[in-house]
Amino acid sequence: MKLARIGAASALALAAGLAHADSTVHFWYHFDNADNPMDALVEEFEAANPGIAVEAENVPWNSYYDQLYTAIIGGNAPDAAMVKMFAQPRLVEMGALEPIDEQLASWEGTDGLQDNLLELTKAADGSHYYLPVQYVVLYLYYRADMFEELGLEVPQTCDGFRAAAKALTRDTDGDGQTDVYGFGFRGAKGGHDHWASFTLGRDGVSLENGLNSEAGIAGTQFVADLFREDKVFPPSAPNDGFQEIIGAFKAGKTAMTIHHIGSANGMVEALGDKVSAAPVPECGGGRWTAFGDESTAVLSSASDKEAAWKWISFLSSAGNNARFNEATGQLPVVKADSESWSMHPQRFVEATVDSLPFAHLLPNSSATADFVNTVWPTAMQRVLTGDITAAEMNEEITALFDD
Amino acid sequence: MTDATMTHAQTPGGSLPRRSLSRRVLPYAMLSPAVLVTLAIVFLPMIQTAWMSLHDYVLFRPNDFEWVGLQNFRTALADEVFWISLGHTVIWMAATIPAQLLLGLATAMLLNQHFPWRPLARALIIIPWALPSVVIALMWVWIYDSNYGVANEFLLRLGLIRQAIPWLADPDTALGAIILTLTWQGFPFFAVMILAGLQSIPKSYYEAASIDGASAWRQFWHITLPGISGVMMTAVLLRLIWVANSFDVIFVMTGGGPGYATYTLPLYAFVKARTNLDFGYGSAIAVLFTMLLMVVVVIYLRRTGKAVE
Repeated sequence: MKLARIGAASALALAAGLAHADSTVHFWYHFDNADNPMDALVEEFEAANPGIAVEAENVPWNSYYDQLYTAIIGGNAPDAAMVKMFAQPRLVEMGALEPIDEQLASWEGTDGLQDNLLELTKAADGSHYYLPVQYVVLYLYYRADMFEELGLEVPQTCDGFRAAAKALTRDTDGDGQTDVYGFGFRGAKGGHDHWASFTLGRDGVSLENGLNSEAGIAGTQFVADLFREDKVFPPSAPNDGFQEIIGAFKAGKTAMTIHHIGSANGMVEALGDKVSAAPVPECGGGRWTAFGDESTAVLSSASDKEAAWKWISFLSSAGNNARFNEATGQLPVVKADSESWSMHPQRFVEATVDSLPFAHLLPNSSATADFVNTVWPTAMQRVLTGDITAAEMNEEITALFDD
Repeated sequence: MTDATMTHAQTPGGSLPRRSLSRRVLPYAMLSPAVLVTLAIVFLPMIQTAWMSLHDYVLFRPNDFEWVGLQNFRTALADEVFWISLGHTVIWMAATIPAQLLLGLATAMLLNQHFPWRPLARALIIIPWALPSVVIALMWVWIYDSNYGVANEFLLRLGLIRQAIPWLADPDTALGAIILTLTWQGFPFFAVMILAGLQSIPKSYYEAASIDGASAWRQFWHITLPGISGVMMTAVLLRLIWVANSFDVIFVMTGGGPGYATYTLPLYAFVKARTNLDFGYGSAIAVLFTMLLMVVVVIYLRRTGKAVE
């Protein structure tokens, strides 16, 4: 009898639980930091939205898009996911995204987003599919103590940069080996932002136009010369990725590198006041730096699109957005959260804000993903190792975007 | 069911044919789950790959599945990267397998001697083979690191080099460095296989040869080598297929770079399909490579067959 009662109570509880979650939002995200606030955010969201359950899955970054595309084709796509702009043309072409224009028009949080972010994340067809959730802008990290020791000024131009990098590359202990290199260049996947800062700021040069002009080729040649002639990059530069450039900078093996505010706290932990930041130098008449975006989107295959929208808009709301970004180390997209932001030392926030006027996204083109993933890394490595010329590399990229 | 079986077994005249039928069916029934699973997870994807290779199929345009016949194969044969990758695959196989075999043979000969702690040495030698490829790849990336790696430190201290060498970032050394890594990973397989072969050779052969005055080298050449040739051939054949197909270590260590310096055909097929999402072209490269490998395997099997006869 007692057993029967327990059984009946369990069945009731189970039924209540099932009835409680009318719909489930499957959400994919990628956080490097395993100790992240996602579970707490989910709990709060579920408490505020009875009837909606969120299953948030942290998918490793290295294979994030491979898995996302495959899941979409395989019919197992999540209902909502974190997404970057470079993937948007492909996702739109696949019909995988749900437009959110109507929701944005009626959502009270829209006006609270940083200016221009919704414009930057608009698709080529004029619709909005992305809701920004965090952003960064790339800038130059430099070793303030080394600059001071050598009496160097923070470089404002490419020429100044080259001179500083040469001076900073030195054998500090007299054993005949170079101990410090001027610049930590990212030659592996993801390093296109470094190359772009030296190339795409030049007059009339962009990925889609003028890259194979004299100015465009001069940009690539500048990078090649820094490595092959001046030897101001570590010899491992062609294969160096994120871990290597950040590790080398923290260890004092390089005196400058380019990355965003997401690395600032780690740098300060390792180097304290010895590290500072400034906008990337002006090269050939202009400056170019990368706007690092991250948004969330509702997928067109979502079973309950309204519930998925509620969840992603929750992440871009005041307060929640700040906690989200505390885990990623990037900057909140909500104005109110930015004003009270105290997570990064001021000099890195300033470098970010100062870089915003010339921050750009990569072209809204289906070719961008191939450029980022294979064409740029392979061509750049071949230039750095002397396998092809700067002109040949730029020609290859031009052909990709012309197709 | 048991009752029914017993009833049939007890029926005179009907029991024998039924028993022989069940004997004939039983092996198939027992094997069928494994065969079905193999068909589903190996042969079906193989057929699908062959089918995709005849189409223009880019994953982010899932509705455009256009028949192009042999166009992908023609493109591959005219693709510079295909030939670069094929060249590296040949070097990769031709260097790695003999190196693993020789190192494995030497290790097996040593482990077959009597010395203290021999069981422990035999257990420890298997470690490189037992470690996951990704762990091995990451470990060797650090060994080769031009700033902190022990390889450069060691060579610098010995005075063999004057400047640290970026082993994985220099196209002249990258493939060789990865071949060395894979040799280290794979030699225990040969060592263990050959050791088993060595232990199966009767000691009396060596005693007889010694009495006849045969030198250690002649004993090795006329007794040891024939005794382990069968095992060696099987091991080489297996490794030939595994090494040819393996790209995980390359993928983690260099991703194929710098440039195309460490591209092999399986890696190129993977990059094309998984990264560029061009499943049609990636499948064509995979099919071409399978055909090339099949030729090698068939030739080798025939030679092995003749040698055994």
